[in-house]
Order: sequence, then C-alpha cells, then structure tokens
Amino acid sequence: MEKPVYIVSKKELDSFVNKLIADQTYEVVGVQAKGERFWFAPLENATDLRLDHDVTILPPKKYFLPQYESLMTFSLEKPFDVTPASNDKPRIIIGIHPYDIIALQQSDLVYLDDQKDDFYKKRRDNTLIIGSDIETVSDRSFAGSMNTHTVNDGFDLMLTHISTETYAVTIGSDKGKALFERYAKGTKATSQELKTIEKIRRELPTKYTQKLRLDKKKWSSVLVANYHHVIWEEKSSKCVECSSCTMVCPTCYCYDVREDVSLNLKDGKRIRTWDGCMLRDFTKVGSGEIFREEIKARYRHRFFRKGNYLPERYGFIACVGCGRCGIACLPDIADPCKLFNDLEKLPSEKETSCFFIKEKTEVGEKGIIHIPRSATIKKVAQCNELDTLFELELDDKKPLGHKPGQFVEVSVMGYGEAPFGISSPPSDKPVFEIMVRKIGNVTSKLVSLQPGDKVGIRGPLGNGFNMELFEGKNMLFVSGGTGMVPMRSLINYVTDPKHRKKYKDLIILYGAKRPKEIVFMNDVEVWKKVDNMQCELTVDRCEPNECWGGCIGLITTLFPKIRADKLDAKNTIAVVIGPPVMYKFVIKCLQTLGIPDQNIWVSLERRMKCGVGKCGHCQINGIYTCKEGPVFNYNQIKRLPEAFE
Amino acid sequence: MSTKPRVAVFDFADCEGCELQIANLEEEILDLLEIVDIVSFREVMKEHSDEYDIAIVEGSIMRPMDEKRLKYIRSKAKILVALGACATIGGVNKIRNQWMPEEVMKDVYGNAKVKGNELFNVNKTKAVNEVVPVDYYIHGCPIDRDEFKHVITALALGKKPEIPTYPVCVECKKNENVCLFERGMYCLGPITRAGCKAICPTNGSPCEGCRGLVKKAETECVWEVLERYNLSYEDIRRRCTMYNYGRAECGAQ
Repeated sequence: MEKPVYIVSKKELDSFVNKLIADQTYEVVGVQAKGERFWFAPLENATDLRLDHDVTILPPKKYFLPQYESLMTFSLEKPFDVTPASNDKPRIIIGIHPYDIIALQQSDLVYLDDQKDDFYKKRRDNTLIIGSDIETVSDRSFAGSMNTHTVNDGFDLMLTHISTETYAVTIGSDKGKALFERYAKGTKATSQELKTIEKIRRELPTKYTQKLRLDKKKWSSVLVANYHHVIWEEKSSKCVECSSCTMVCPTCYCYDVREDVSLNLKDGKRIRTWDGCMLRDFTKVGSGEIFREEIKARYRHRFFRKGNYLPERYGFIACVGCGRCGIACLPDIADPCKLFNDLEKLPSEKETSCFFIKEKTEVGEKGIIHIPRSATIKKVAQCNELDTLFELELDDKKPLGHKPGQFVEVSVMGYGEAPFGISSPPSDKPVFEIMVRKIGNVTSKLVSLQPGDKVGIRGPLGNGFNMELFEGKNMLFVSGGTGMVPMRSLINYVTDPKHRKKYKDLIILYGAKRPKEIVFMNDVEVWKKVDNMQCELTVDRCEPNECWGGCIGLITTLFPKIRADKLDAKNTIAVVIGPPVMYKFVIKCLQTLGIPDQNIWVSLERRMKCGVGKCGHCQINGIYTCKEGPVFNYNQIKRLPEAFE
Repeated sequence: MSTKPRVAVFDFADCEGCELQIANLEEEILDLLEIVDIVSFREVMKEHSDEYDIAIVEGSIMRPMDEKRLKYIRSKAKILVALGACATIGGVNKIRNQWMPEEVMKDVYGNAKVKGNELFNVNKTKAVNEVVPVDYYIHGCPIDRDEFKHVITALALGKKPEIPTYPVCVECKKNENVCLFERGMYCLGPITRAGCKAICPTNGSPCEGCRGLVKKAETECVWEVLERYNLSYEDIRRRCTMYNYGRAECGAQ
C-alpha cells in the first residue's frame, strides 16, 4: 500500500522538530555539523539540524550498540548480586540516510535472531527513526550502485527536500503517524509533488561519482573464486592495522566484553565495547594462539564477511555503500567499491570452496542472553598438577540439560567470563563438572575458589554431539591434551551401563604432553575395564624424574595399535578433540584407516566470548564456532580454510 | 597483619607528573588506601618502608647510581610496575640519546667541575625494562588516572591488568573525531598504543606517541600514508623522536 505523504514548509518542519525537543518524553538526536564533517548528536534547536549532510562520521548504530555499554552491575561483596543494566530514555533520531536505515535492518536480523539481544531490542523498540532522503552525495559513497540510496521501509517518518522551502514527509509507521499528527501540520501531497519525490529518488544514482563495476550480486562468487588470490597480500601490505574501517562501518557489529571494577573493590560493571576483526588480538584464545594473525587473512576476512559470509547466512550484502571506510582508511585500501572494481578486472578462477554451513543451533538457555545465572561450587578436586575439577550446581536447582560437547560460559564477578567444555555426561541432576587449567584471569581466580563460592553460568551453549546418530556404531575417541575434558562427557555417556549396549566396540586414543598433564586418570582406569574397549595412552615426552611406563610419542603413534584388520571402518564413528595443531595429522590417520569423512566428528576451540553468534571472535570463515559448533561433522567444515590451517 | 598489598612509589628522572596524577585521584585516594597500604610515596608522604609487595616506578634511568637503586627496588618487590612514558619507554628523556653523554654534559654544564661526582655520572637514558624486568606497564605522559585505577584494582584482585594492544585510532573513532589527517595535520595515532581514550586528538592535538608504539607498528605503511597526505618522512620521524627516540625505525617494543 502507498504510504501517506504530506508536504510541510521548512518553517513548519523546524517547528515540528522544536516541539519534539520541547517534549521531554524523548531525547532528540539529529545530524549536525562537526567541523568539516557531520555527526549525530543531541539536538537543542531545529536550526542545528543539517539535512543536507553527505555522511556522518559514525553511523547511527552508536544509539543501538553504543561504543561503551554497561550490560550489568555486580557486587564483589555479596555472593551473587547481579543487576542487568537499565535502558536509556526513548529517543528520536532525525536525519538517518536510507543506507543507514538498511544497515539497521541488517543488524536486526543478527541481533534479534533466535538468540535475541535484549539490550539491542529495547533500544530498537524505544527509538523512532526519522529518515531523510539524500540531498548531498558523499564523494566516497557508492550507495547508488548498491541500491541503498533509497528505502521503502524501516522508518517512522521520511523527510525529502523537494524545493528550497518545502519538505515532503512520508509516513512509515503508526508511531510516526501519531507523532506527525500531534506536532505538525501538513497538506496531503499532490500527484505532482509525489512525482517530484519520485524523480528526486530516481535521479539520485546519477549523482554518484563512485560507481561499482561489479554487480553486488556477484560479490560472493567472485570472492570465493579468489580466496587465495595475491590481491589480498598486495592490498593488505599497505594496511596500518588501525581498524578504523570497522569502527566507522554501519554493518560491523562485533564486540568485546570486559569488566570494570571500582577502586573500592566493592562493585563493578560488565562493559560491552566495539571491537574489530582487523585487530590482531581479535582471535586470540586463552592458550595464547591467534587464529587470524596475519594481516592478509584479517584484511580478506573483512571483505568475505561483507560479501560472502553474511550474505550466505542472512541474505544481505553486509555493505551499504556509505563510503565511511573509504574516508577513514589512511592508505585508502578499505573501500569495497575500489576492491571489487579491482577484483572485477581479475581473471576469474574456478570456484573452489564453500565457506558456510547452516545448521540448526540448539538454543539452550532462554532469557537475557548476556546475564549469567548463579551457581554454587559444590566440589573442588585437584585432577593433576595443572588441572582442577569443579562440580557446580545451578542455584535454581534445575539440571543444566546439556549434551556432550556443549560448553558453558563461567563468570567470576570482577574477573570476567570464559568458556569451558562440560566434562560430565548429561544428567537429570542440577550438578555438572568443568575442568580448569590456570591460564588467564578467570581460570586463575576459579582455582582459588572453595566449595560454597558462587560463580555465574550461561549455557549450555553451542551444538553438542547427537548421541542417537552414533547408535549401533563403533566409536573411536581421539583426544589430545585438555581435549579430554569435553570428550569425557561423551565417553562417560557411552560407557554408562544404561547406554553401553547402544554402541559397539570402543577405542580411546589419548595423548598428553607429559604424564603430569594427563587428566581423568581415574576415569581411564575405569574405561579400561569396559567390555570391548581398547584404551591407549601416550605422552609427547617424559622427564627423567617422571613415572611413566606407557607409550611415548605424538598421538599419531597410537594409530598402529588399532587392529585395522578387525576394525569395521565404514561402521565406525571417530570423534577428535584436541589442540588445533593435532587435527590435520589425526584426520589423515583416520582416513588411512578407511573411516569415511562423514563419520568423523570434531570439536573446535576458538575464543567463544558471547557464546551466541554475535561478538564475532570465534568466527571460522562463515561460521560461528559457538553457534554452529563447537561440534562439527568433518564433512561440513573440511572445506573451510580457517578451520584447520 | 594487614592482608592488603603494600605499595611503594619511586621516582627517577622525570617531572613527577605521573605521581601527581595518582595524588589527583582526590577523594578516591581514600578508596585506594582502603585496598592497598602505601608504605612509600615521597611525593605525598614522609614515611618510608623497605617492605613492599608492589613497587611503582616512575622515571627513566640515567646514571649508574640509578641502576643500582632500581635493582635494589626490584629485589624487594614481588611486582614491579613501570609508571608513565619515562619509565615505560624512556620517553622524552631519550631524546638526548642522539648525542654522547659527554657532549650533553658539556652542553649543559659547560666547564663546571662535576667530574668524579656520582650525581653527574650520566649514561645513555634507559627505560626501566632495559635495566630490570617489568611486570606491568601504565603507559602515557602523563598516565591516565582511570587506567591507573584499572591496573591497581587488577593487582589488588590478583589479576593481570588488560592494557590495549591496539592503536589510538580505535578510541579516536569511537569518540567520533574528524581525523586529523583529514584536517591537514599529522598524527601518530595509527601507530601508538591506545588506552588514553584518544585524549589528544579528541581535543584537536595530534597524538605524539607517548604510550609507545604498538607492538607491530607497521611504520613502513605509515610512511606511505604520510606521502598521501603530503607529509615527509623526516617530519614524522622528528615527531616520533619526542617520546620514541630510537624506536620509530624498528617499530616494535
């Protein structure tokens, strides 16, 4: 249906804006000059409003995902006193250009998906959007080529400058209609005036100096064909790694979370802040590995995220052609228009890879996704010199309800939050176990805690193993180092007398760096006695003073111990969990044994920060480890270059 | 006995401005005293004790006698924190490393009879970590009080303080500043460690690099950028000299 359009004079528009400002219900924000550029800032008077702006320094994203946002406050003195942050005052934002409205609609798909971000949602509900059609085209923008220069929905009101002294106001929603009827008077647009608006919008693309030569629909396939092209190396070698491109982008939404503690050590806040995939430490994990360390890989990731990963996932190109990155990039290598125009000139290579899988995610916990539930430490046991086993109980006395392979985010207030694989099998009791090795702030604090102390739990998160799928099969478990932590959940499930008959022969291959790093030795002793179970251990090395009578060598040295002649490889499921370096070699061994790729399952480690597929830290090409994983079928991800590199 | 960590603050060659930043916590200093025992802090108190857990060291190390004193402090402290640009990177004091100590002495003291006087026995300037191991850094000239609070609360809680590894541009963009390069100025923001909330560019002054260059500062690329903005290599190298003498070329800490 056609949207109603009214015509107002400039004077009437100013009066409308001033009435909105005078109404204390809302904070009114509008585009204003900032030096030689423009920005969205609180509006004190209609005369400060600039609807002739080319582009603002930052997109209006900052009002929905602020640069620094408190998610909750907590007390360090009380056992578990957590208060989610309250929301801002309702807001009206005036002057949002169509491309930024489209960017907001894209963020909606991400932030309001099956794991909804409540903070974002409240702000979105609380905000009225008064858009403005583009009057001045930014010299770096290519919105005309992206078809983002106009928009049909996503606004409450839309302003169009149709002549020196008149504006058209298109009503986009009931809220917008109510606001307009309450504070403004306008006349219904005549058919001539409607034609003028249409003409303004139709002729806008001709005003763009930046033009895309490669149709945006082709971005995805051209990227995929050129994943290994030298262009990434060439362009990124000029990058100063300042991440300005991601900071100013309306479609970048990755974030970091950290804790701020007051100087009195009594209370603190959990802060969410903008982060960017161009920064080196973005993919750093607890053990210190950086998964996308090379600037070439980070530079490429940014374009793939925009042109391939998000389009495959959500169906939109995550670039609206605003041109902000082109303005902000000092060596001028960030502009997608230039990049894709350069890619267009390249000889097209063969499409080699698929970088995305879409799997249904088990949404474990409902509620406010960022706020942990309280849990009490029931037991603490030293497992070996390095690792401590914790038994935790949720204070609502509900069972965690996890599957083997899933993880939880554990918070220690004031110290932060970290992901842990669950090492106990599924249970109807409210207790579960995690293993902690002291490596960072959260783990160091955790190991100093005692039974009775409180921690925060989010989860279970991610996809676990589908145990029914493995029924009737032989199971081969290959774990390295602390990979045994989540693996134990799976092995204890399978070896449980209740389930044992559902699975055939069992083989465990387990390698640790040194004898003292072996976890769950008591469990190993029990597993060895299970019917039709072969259990083999190895250590990489053994100091002269260490007691070890077993095999010495990497995990791969255990494979010859498997009686290949007796193994029905086609009917065997292999599960591999271990450090990143292990996978390539172990998978080769499994393939040599004749185990088909679709029978191989892996669990991958990344920095799962938000745990709900938003913050971006755990991304492997097009997938989120926290959401589509951490458990994957090898067939699904073997073509993801970032998974095993 | 108190379980609070005992903290001692020491200074070497500097202006003591970073120590003043601690004193400038004003009422909040009472909170600070609740969580740590300050046993030595010449700037604000008379008392002194050699028994401390955390030594906060301000200033650059200039003379053999300073090195000796610093090593003694290190031997007493469980944790040593370098405070401010003079301590963390040598800072402004390192400018004189362009000349030999004898030339500098002659220039400043002329023919005054200082030979043999230990107080005037000057070496090349060193940052604290060039003499003893440093556990944590509080960067800046002067330091940022919020960052000081962050570090001290982290240490009091027994955790590792998180100091940004990314450049000033990140914070500058969050502050929504018009980029100084766009305004025809130079700025060291792209290669300088963040954590200062981009205070200088936010107030219209270029970043001078007082928090040190980021670990993998891609200085070569910066030179290309300079060309694009009609700035010369010499120009920016001189700017780097202000706080990062000798580090501009190699680019890494």
